[in-house]
Amino acid sequence: MKKNEFVSQLSEFCEFENENFTLETLFKSINGYDSLAVMSIIAFVDENFKMSLTASQLNKITDFNSLVELIGKDKFEDE
Amino acid sequence: MNNLQGKRILVTGASSGIGRAVAQQAASYGASLILLGRNKERLKATYDSLQGSGHEFYTIDITDYTRVDEIIRSSVATFGFIDGFVHSAGIEKTIPFNASTPNLFKEVFEVNVFAGFEIARLLSKKNIVNPSGASHVFISSVSAVSGEPGKIIYCSSKSALTTGIKALALELAIKKIRCNCVLPGCVDTDMVKKLFASIPIEAKQSIINKHPLGIGQPEDVAFLVCFLISDKAKWITGSEYIIDGGYSS
Repeated sequence: MKKNEFVSQLSEFCEFENENFTLETLFKSINGYDSLAVMSIIAFVDENFKMSLTASQLNKITDFNSLVELIGKDKFEDE
Repeated sequence: MNNLQGKRILVTGASSGIGRAVAQQAASYGASLILLGRNKERLKATYDSLQGSGHEFYTIDITDYTRVDEIIRSSVATFGFIDGFVHSAGIEKTIPFNASTPNLFKEVFEVNVFAGFEIARLLSKKNIVNPSGASHVFISSVSAVSGEPGKIIYCSSKSALTTGIKALALELAIKKIRCNCVLPGCVDTDMVKKLFASIPIEAKQSIINKHPLGIGQPEDVAFLVCFLISDKAKWITGSEYIIDGGYSS
């Protein structure tokens, strides 16, 4: 999965309202980013990257880029 | 005190948590245990902690029903009839509804529901179960009767278990096999520790706050389970017992 696809697919999965997100979009600025969205991110990462993230790990992320770094840049295809 | 002298009880999920506490208490009341679990090291630790003698332990996947049947038949041939079953093995998943796919339902139902009923079926056969009677206790959850966000799979699995035992109790009454469910609230187990790690801090605190008597200990639940296994509960079947520190009040 490419990083921009990741942003788009995760946003759709979490049903975030705005669709114009970038890697620099801050999660806290997203309308609809709540505790259920956090659970959704954990489920999405588990399903697509076979990684079990914890809520405390997600507390430290700020934007999509930081989530990519948490998952590991090597897990993504080159743009 | 619950007298379980001479009873032979099979416990799933005996590696940790409520299953381990049930095994330890039942052994202290005189029962002999057949322990099933996935983690060899932790299952052995449970086995080593048991008082008394005549205990057995087997590291297996409890959904390998052929192997479970072999273990049961071999144990009965060597040590005698089975007097009780405690299905404590369970999977907890916190997954929002938009990610709750059929495969995840199947994964959870396989252990929480299907394995419980299948092992009960294997144990209830003639020449396996004690013809004088037996007691099957299923560890459900207060989630069977109340919801939390992200819990549709877990709640529905525990609800299926809780309702299913009512039909089971009616069918097995003729064999003097009693079937009951225990519905714990949040108990301090490895499963709950994993759950708390996977949800936001505010969600964790909200769950804790809903338990007026605080989070329970595995031993709190084990005492009720041992009572239901014992002959003192001989007129109880098809019932569910909430033990949740006030969560559902």
